[in-house]
Amino acid sequence: MEAICSSLEPLFPCREAAIETLGELIGDSSETYPSAIYLFGHSGTGKTALTRAFLKECGKRQNVRTAHLNAIECYTTKIMLEILLDSLAPDQGDALKVDNMLDFVEQLRRQAATRVEDQGFLIAVDNAERLRDMDANVLPVLLRLQELTNLNLCVILLSQLPFEKFYNKTGLSEIVCLHLAQYNKAETQRILGSDFQQVRNQLLEQFAQDKKRLEICQEAVTEDFYNNYLNLFLSVFYKACRDVPELQLTARKCLSTYLEPVLDGTVDATDISRLWRHIAGPLRSALTQIYMRIEKPAEEVEDFTAIEDQSVRKLAQSLELPYYAKFLLIAAFLASHNAAKQDKRLFVKHHGKQRKRMQTVNARAKTTEKMSTTLGPKSFSIDRLLAIFYAILEEKVGLTCNLLSQISTLVHLNLLSFVSGEQNIMEGSARLQCTIGLEFVLQIGKVVGFNVRQYLCDFM
Amino acid sequence: MDPTISVSKGCFVYKNGATRAGKKAASKRKRPAAESSSLLGKEVVQQPFYEEYRKAWNQINDHIADLQHRSYARTLEQLVDFVVGQAERDTPDEVLPTAALLTGINQPDHLSQFTALTQRLHAQRAAMVCVLQSRDCATLKAAVETLVFGLVEDNAEVEQMEDEDEDEDGAERDRKRLRRSQCTMKQLKSWYTNNFDSEQKRRQLVVILPDFECFNASVLQDLILILSAHCGSLPFVLVLGVATAMTAVHGTLPYHVSSKIRLRVFQTQAAPTGLNEVLDKVLLSPKYAFHLSGKTFKFLTHIFLYYDFSIHGFIQGFKYCLMEHFFGGNAFALCTDYSKALGRIKQLTHEDMETIRRLPSFRPYVEQINDCKRIIAVLTDDDYLKKKLPQLLRDCLLHFLLFRCSLEFLTELVGDLPRCPLGKLRRELYVNCLNRAIISTPEYKECLQMLSFLSKDEFVAKVNRALERTEQFLVEEIAPLELGEACTAVLRPKLEAIRLAVDEVVKATMATITTTSPNETRQATDHLTPVASRQELKDQLLQRSKEDKMRHQLNTPTTQFGRALQKTLQLIETQIVQDHLRALQDAPPIHELFVFSDIATVRRNIIGAPRAALHTALNNPHFYMQCKCCELQDQSLLVGTLPDLSVVYKLHLECGRMINLFDWLQAFRSVVSDSDHEEVAQEQIDPQIQARFTRAVAELQFLGYIKMSKRKTDHATRLTW
Repeated sequence: MEAICSSLEPLFPCREAAIETLGELIGDSSETYPSAIYLFGHSGTGKTALTRAFLKECGKRQNVRTAHLNAIECYTTKIMLEILLDSLAPDQGDALKVDNMLDFVEQLRRQAATRVEDQGFLIAVDNAERLRDMDANVLPVLLRLQELTNLNLCVILLSQLPFEKFYNKTGLSEIVCLHLAQYNKAETQRILGSDFQQVRNQLLEQFAQDKKRLEICQEAVTEDFYNNYLNLFLSVFYKACRDVPELQLTARKCLSTYLEPVLDGTVDATDISRLWRHIAGPLRSALTQIYMRIEKPAEEVEDFTAIEDQSVRKLAQSLELPYYAKFLLIAAFLASHNAAKQDKRLFVKHHGKQRKRMQTVNARAKTTEKMSTTLGPKSFSIDRLLAIFYAILEEKVGLTCNLLSQISTLVHLNLLSFVSGEQNIMEGSARLQCTIGLEFVLQIGKVVGFNVRQYLCDFM
Repeated sequence: MDPTISVSKGCFVYKNGATRAGKKAASKRKRPAAESSSLLGKEVVQQPFYEEYRKAWNQINDHIADLQHRSYARTLEQLVDFVVGQAERDTPDEVLPTAALLTGINQPDHLSQFTALTQRLHAQRAAMVCVLQSRDCATLKAAVETLVFGLVEDNAEVEQMEDEDEDEDGAERDRKRLRRSQCTMKQLKSWYTNNFDSEQKRRQLVVILPDFECFNASVLQDLILILSAHCGSLPFVLVLGVATAMTAVHGTLPYHVSSKIRLRVFQTQAAPTGLNEVLDKVLLSPKYAFHLSGKTFKFLTHIFLYYDFSIHGFIQGFKYCLMEHFFGGNAFALCTDYSKALGRIKQLTHEDMETIRRLPSFRPYVEQINDCKRIIAVLTDDDYLKKKLPQLLRDCLLHFLLFRCSLEFLTELVGDLPRCPLGKLRRELYVNCLNRAIISTPEYKECLQMLSFLSKDEFVAKVNRALERTEQFLVEEIAPLELGEACTAVLRPKLEAIRLAVDEVVKATMATITTTSPNETRQATDHLTPVASRQELKDQLLQRSKEDKMRHQLNTPTTQFGRALQKTLQLIETQIVQDHLRALQDAPPIHELFVFSDIATVRRNIIGAPRAALHTALNNPHFYMQCKCCELQDQSLLVGTLPDLSVVYKLHLECGRMINLFDWLQAFRSVVSDSDHEEVAQEQIDPQIQARFTRAVAELQFLGYIKMSKRKTDHATRLTW
């Protein structure tokens, strides 16, 4: 047990307490395992990596059979049982066949009886919240598998949810809960700094051809230098992102920018304030890309700013839609966000006079809660969509198959969606809804020269 | 025809030779008798025009396919390098390498792009590919089964190509054992371990999702999580076909899924760019004798730009125009190379010669002949006309070549002027030049004025660039053609004349400088005159200003630079624009053999208008059915012999929004039944007539014209106004 813990602690800094607890629970196969362990925490806190490494060490140092499966993959119970039995009793080969839980328990017990050298069994289930959607007996049986098979067996459930969410009518047996808390800033910096040697070796390999840069790199890249960089980096990014893998990815990306003036010789390695002034802009621009995960090779760095600008303005311009499809989209937005009663007044030239009444004046008083652009889109029929389309389009267009097929194209692109009556388009009872936002449709209107605000009830 | 049979009973085939209502019996275009089956008969296939049509279409289609293949080559190379490169990079964590290919909406070659990618990977033996369609992945179970089955089958297909006995047996064994229910990730892992575990035989497993937006979001998220969980043991690479933008990916995948992938974005060219390439290289190429008129050309590009951005749709429309053109008769088999056309002339029959004589441009040609005997010979003697045809064909082909060269010159000259009055692209200029005489248009005058305002350096550089471009076009595109020498002989002296005029513009600068020195001398002399009084000074200044005005007016036409510039523009206008960029009305005789301009037929057949077609079918059934009992003198008439659905439809057009069913039935009965039974029928309605009426109303409801009202009983609501 001590050997397992000491080998894992360097790999997982700031998780010594968790490793020690796991070691006490399942670190010795000669002692009886607990029936089940529940390990939960936010994503990126090391649940899967820690469990996988722990099971690997147990399997290596002791006579323990381990199985690690993902509950997402087990869309039927049979698949899960086959994976478990294949991992725990691998001698059966292709003849493996398990149909239900009773069969699984029986085969597992029979196989374990023929292999007395196995002292323990460990099962890890990732994304364990999916077990709630499976058959009703899956979760209770897993939690009591130790009793049913009469083996030294432990089931480890990993999830992002606390165990209180696993409510069951008949109740579940007691379980050992272990929480992996999110890392704080000091712990994050320690974790990011733990790969200093790896990063330094990568840099030295990168500049192996350039002698001058190699010497500067060897001299400048020290542990203090790297820690200073991480300190600056976290002061910008820690407010926006707590995910350690994401921070690690972005830190490595920005390190080359931080190192550039030192390699050029314009700034000394110890001048932290000037280095900060140089890196501050790129760090803030990288802040907008923190979750994108878009990889760029080195030769395409010139296009960095152009392609990764995710503002709505650029999106509306870059989205290629034919001319009439743009007008259809605008008509759909107007149909979604205007009341049907206002259509005559908005789209007909001679709509007659409208008398002012106190009731009308009061109803028209605008409050923020009532604006339909804030409430969200409402549904409309295809006839109304086409009527508004013909009203806002100045030229005369025939109702052709090409025009009608654009509606299905917009639905495929998720710019429109069916609310009801998807199968009854012929009858005319199908209702659609516009899914794009106000800013997007304003930009599209600007491209085709149409003023969208002029036709919205909220802005009149 | 039995009047009680409705149109929904089945299909009707009539061969009684009846013509459409409203159409003249003798059609101008003589067409071969169409077979009742959809495939063309032998007598059609062996006709000369069909051979020429097939040859022309094959050439054009190969050219377009080659263009598209070359435009996708760069992106495909990058994509293949990305997939192959993943094998060399080992990732310790569970991160799935993913390529996002931005394909654009309605790209016609979405699937063919991914098919080409699959073939490339197979050729390199670097990966096994599975293409997942969104329609096959309604649930996660279906998605995983399709994925595993596709990868294993893909390997089996690749193995069969090798013709190795041992591998074939292995593939046979694998395939027999595999069932859909057994396709799980565990099965895939064991299969991969057994077949590809050694280092030399390691291959990537590529999963392609061509239509990313159409997938169910939850199925897609779970699939990506499963693939990334297996990245440690199986070398997966994911390829997404994204139609809109990268925000579709970020919107569909939440963070706990997007953190499992490493995304690389690839961009294909935009659809209008692809279309411009097809237009410039294929439709506007001088290699092909077939041409579209300006209106037809504009019509096809209008569908593309305004409706669907579908290059495939555009190509099919062009193919339809080609088909319609050649099926006009055997005379149109002359729409080919000059030497081949000479061979075709001998095969023409008397009817084909009559077709040529009926072309609209043939009449002015006959009228310009002075000799009465020659007029009679041209109109009646086939042999005489056959002797004249080679010269006419040569004039036509030469005209189109010269038109194309002049278009190249004019595109370079006016393409980058401010606001592009005539258009920026070559296709816009093509449409403008063909539709009407371009010299008389206000846009052309505006272009000339802008050219006059250019500075000397800009003007000289622009004209020289246009000359170089045209010269290069002559050398590369025109010279290999059959009539290339004749075209070059006509055009090269004109380009040389323009070049000389440009040289004069360059030299005109020195003369302008020379004329300024006498003015300076004169001013110095005037300054020396003594002034005796204030009044005398005023008189002298007033007189001097008048002299300056007169001198300025005289100087404007006498500036050498201005005169040289105007001469160059005049030369361009007369030699290039006026002679060669003529409208279609001014084209040489029998140009209709080479230009397709019947836009009404194309519009009716390409643009589907379902409501108009339905209205025509129900309002005037004779239009489609061509039977005697349905013939109408006036379309608004109601005859008892019409089909029941047609009668009911016409009656419902006369009603308002709500239709009383009983009144409708009474009107229906009065139209359908005989009048001599009127007295007896008033008592009770014939059950047969009522049944016919009920069925017709049900059919009308199915078609979507009416629905039963929920507020008023025995009433129907009209859905269309």
